[in-house]
Amino acid sequence: MFAMFPRNPRRQRRALEVGLGRSYRGAVRWLGPGVVALGLGMEPAQAQFSTRIVGSGPRSDLPEERAVSTVTQSEIEQRLVRSAPDALRYEAGVFIQQSAHGQASAFLRGLTGQQTLLLFDGIRLNNSTYRQGPNQYFFTLDSQSIASISVLRGGGSTRGGSDALGGIISAYAIEPLLPERGLRASAQGQARFTTADSEKGGRLQVSVGYGSTKGWALGFVGGVGGREVGQLESGGPVLNPTPDLPIGPLPYVPRYAPDMRTQLGTGFKELTADGRLVLRLSPRSKLTLAGYLYRQYDAPRTDQCPPPTAPPDTCLTYEQQFRHMAYLAWDGQLGAAAKEVRVALSFQSQHERRRFDDPSVVARVMGIDDVSTLGFTASAATRVFRPHERLSLRLHYGADSYLDWVQSTEDITYTDVKITSAFRRGQYLSGSRYLAGGVFADGEVGIGARVLLRSGARLSWADAQVPADPESGSQAVAQTWKPVTGHVGLEVRAAEFLRLLLNVDNSYRAPNLNDLTARQQTGPGFQFENALLLPERAWTFEAGARVRSQFLRAELWLFETLLQDAVLKVAKPTEDCPLGSNACRGAWSRFKLENAPSLSEMRGVELMLKANLPLYFSARATLAYAWGEGPRVGNVTQEATGVTLQERVPLSRIPPLNGTGELAWDHPIGLRAGLVVRWATLQDRLAIADYSDGRIPKYGTPGFAILDLRLGYSFREHVSLSAVIENLLDAPYRYHGSSINGPARGLSLVLKVM
Amino acid sequence: MKVGKRMTGRFQARFFVGAALLFAACDTTTNEPLDMMPTPDMAAVDPGGPTSCQGPAFTENVGACTPGANDYRPRVNMSMNDTWAACITDDNMIHFLSGMTPSSAARTAAFDSMGARLWKNPKPLTADDFLNARNDYSITNGLGSRVARRQDVHFTELPNGNKLGCTDPAIAPSYPERCYGPIVLKPIVDDAFAQGLVGNQPRLQAARMEAALLWFFYLSTLSEIWTSSFDNINDVDSSLAYYNAAQSRATPQGLGKYIQALGPETYDRGFDATLATRCWRDLDKVLPAANTTLYNQALAQNDKALLRGMALILRDRFGQLSCSTGVQQQANLEFVKLMGGFMDRAVRAIDATKADALKVQYTAASAAQVDVAKSQQLLDSLFPCP
Repeated sequence: MFAMFPRNPRRQRRALEVGLGRSYRGAVRWLGPGVVALGLGMEPAQAQFSTRIVGSGPRSDLPEERAVSTVTQSEIEQRLVRSAPDALRYEAGVFIQQSAHGQASAFLRGLTGQQTLLLFDGIRLNNSTYRQGPNQYFFTLDSQSIASISVLRGGGSTRGGSDALGGIISAYAIEPLLPERGLRASAQGQARFTTADSEKGGRLQVSVGYGSTKGWALGFVGGVGGREVGQLESGGPVLNPTPDLPIGPLPYVPRYAPDMRTQLGTGFKELTADGRLVLRLSPRSKLTLAGYLYRQYDAPRTDQCPPPTAPPDTCLTYEQQFRHMAYLAWDGQLGAAAKEVRVALSFQSQHERRRFDDPSVVARVMGIDDVSTLGFTASAATRVFRPHERLSLRLHYGADSYLDWVQSTEDITYTDVKITSAFRRGQYLSGSRYLAGGVFADGEVGIGARVLLRSGARLSWADAQVPADPESGSQAVAQTWKPVTGHVGLEVRAAEFLRLLLNVDNSYRAPNLNDLTARQQTGPGFQFENALLLPERAWTFEAGARVRSQFLRAELWLFETLLQDAVLKVAKPTEDCPLGSNACRGAWSRFKLENAPSLSEMRGVELMLKANLPLYFSARATLAYAWGEGPRVGNVTQEATGVTLQERVPLSRIPPLNGTGELAWDHPIGLRAGLVVRWATLQDRLAIADYSDGRIPKYGTPGFAILDLRLGYSFREHVSLSAVIENLLDAPYRYHGSSINGPARGLSLVLKVM
Repeated sequence: MKVGKRMTGRFQARFFVGAALLFAACDTTTNEPLDMMPTPDMAAVDPGGPTSCQGPAFTENVGACTPGANDYRPRVNMSMNDTWAACITDDNMIHFLSGMTPSSAARTAAFDSMGARLWKNPKPLTADDFLNARNDYSITNGLGSRVARRQDVHFTELPNGNKLGCTDPAIAPSYPERCYGPIVLKPIVDDAFAQGLVGNQPRLQAARMEAALLWFFYLSTLSEIWTSSFDNINDVDSSLAYYNAAQSRATPQGLGKYIQALGPETYDRGFDATLATRCWRDLDKVLPAANTTLYNQALAQNDKALLRGMALILRDRFGQLSCSTGVQQQANLEFVKLMGGFMDRAVRAIDATKADALKVQYTAASAAQVDVAKSQQLLDSLFPCP
């Protein structure tokens, strides 16, 4: 994210030494006279450099001293990912949970949803309605319009602001052609098919650029895409790991078609469009005007379609899940004190239309939520100052602020008599507003050639204004928080190939409108509001070792995260339900978010290895383990879950020990192949809420090991055919916390013509 | 059968229209207009008036009854005189296994709210009354959701271990006796709402709902004991909630309140039985339950007391046939017709001859054709003790 995480100075110096020609070649690839296509597979450093020189967008610029990894566009294409979250499955410490086929949420160090920060081109996607637990919003980025995705694991609030407790996921858009001189254009079409879920889709994309002899250039890239995805076939049912349960071996979620492989409550349709216009004013200054449209239709939430024990035709469907974004940004510089300036003004709208078909009562409940967000970000970095030959100084600084408006309605229609009755309020309270932002300063001091010290701080603000609705028992909210956060870090270059890193970070998340006002059915039960929540804070302590050599890249991270005032789902009796919320009283389980009375804790290890081997082979492996525990809160007896609960209990949906392995062969003639293994062990450390969560088998999610085979061929870079035979052994498997089982053995095929 | 084999025409249209809307603003769909049907002139068909009257005088007297040999009796010397081992409910108090009031209590509250709007509402019933009652009934995971899945545990479980199969409309019709909620009760309630909303005999529709839901609570009190044995141990709390909204012995709501008003000792015996259920789960904490003896004893004690309670309700409504008039009398007649039918299995299991005799009364075409005294005598003889 260019605005909030300006370039690493050492990388810039190196890139400048490399020179314009090489980086330009890295950014664009000539395919023939007059035709160019966007470059693929750029290394991050090259991408950053090319960004500066040719005016393309930012790439992978989360703080390098942290536990950061990046997925490139070529990796996204070779993996034939189903979605933007799916692209992160092979990143160490990232665990993808899916509550539905058309939804996915990334866990970073045991946290997800509102406890992680999502960015797109440096603009905050998180709004004030992001809920506790997994959410679907990263799925609403079109993976075809993404050039790279970077992931920072661990707290990142100093530059990222609220929500960055578990980490930051930052996606970057593809950039238009910006030739030095003359007119350039390219077009490409892509078609995609899969067998496990009968997906059919494609994308058309054009890119046009003109470079003036006077130094300016104008470029546009735009595309439209769509797909229709059918019901997802799995390798069979995942079974409850506890044998001989009277309810039988099958978990409540998902339900299957009679073939016991096809999962009900899956499938969706999707429409995407995007356009990006970039005016390069000078080699170091550009204007970007961009718009992104995402529309998903008819995506059932699998664990509510049907809900556990409900009639099979009961279903919660996201009829419409839209996310639209437009922004105008200027990148440039204003002297030594403001070398890398970015100012961006953005507008986003998020629209959800949920339909709950309930044949039990011959009714259909419709909920509509709209969130509009106006955002402003400004950031800059100084040049590197050298007050002494062995001392270098640099400062990044900036400010950002986002304002949300929320509208929310809900009604019920009795389908036999076609009578509609409006509810008093929706999931949220219409007219709610939420302002969040902050200012930060983040500096680094180089001491000699081997030591770098880093430290930064942020003053944030969050203000929630919610009108009261006494009839529904909804309190007014007028809360303001001004948390101060920061970090310190030490980097030591122990050897040319080895860096040792130590970081301490304090991040925060201010309660948002979902916490303060929402009434909603979640996986474990009905969750109602708490207008008195305090911000939660995360202390991240991490130590890393990073090895870089010609043949090997490796990273090892150990982390400990302490959550202070962690917001937890606390089981509540019906008496605690808000006045006027009959849905709360009727729910099987009821939860209220409350700050934990004592620290919650997560610790773990993350390992990534990447080796370049002879004969065009390469290998890559990841491993991650997280352990999480918090205080037992709420009035739940030890007999309630049928198991003995201790005073401290596991945190919800902490991923099990998991990892990946990839062996790839990529020959210059255009042929490529790869064998992939994804695995996870049994996770039976469950939180109290997990026991009532239909997504989690009783009692725990079984482990798995899945093999995928990748094949591909590129013909003179005009035509590319990529295939993945996924789940070679046709094994039933499920990522912990998911509603759906992974795809059955099947073929994914992508044909790309440029 | 997979869906989405080809892109539908509708989706294609969206696809291309969406492309044209590249930078268009979000078309945030506004709330649908209320699609209210024309309000019928309910006053013309339901003049309102008293919803109950005093039939032939009745005071419960079960002094001659003796408890069953295996009954749990917490009111007597803290259960020390019965066969049950010492357990948590020997103090004659409620102890929620889950530690909190079960959500089932909200369903009982919804029933009471519906009653205030409909069958206990002396004002002329309006479409809004039915709509508001239906909103009470239709809350997500509310009363209606449970009516649609309720099983009658007196009948054999579904085959192949499909314990919850009654929720499946493809399966339930094959087992109408076991799947009593979805097959018998739900159609009655759904139809009563639909008819009531358009002003078709609203008072009678209210009575249909009342009868069907009271029987639902009877079935539910028993079925939650069953589900507690294998699915969710906390369902013993729900069993109590369906009986009296999980209230204290002295202040029941829902079905318990009906029974208490007609037969205080019968109600107390029912409450004893719910404590027996909790006692069983205190002595047998594992899932699935291991002590089938206690399970069966608790189930039988509940069933006996509850059936006596349901008989008292039916008995009272027979009596009200003689003191009510007009639409309220028609409503009472509809009530006894339905409730009599619901109870037929239990009655027939005791005495088939009396069951036939009772059926003649509750299927009478008019109130005038009902022999109230005979009906009440039959019920008294069939269910003399709780």
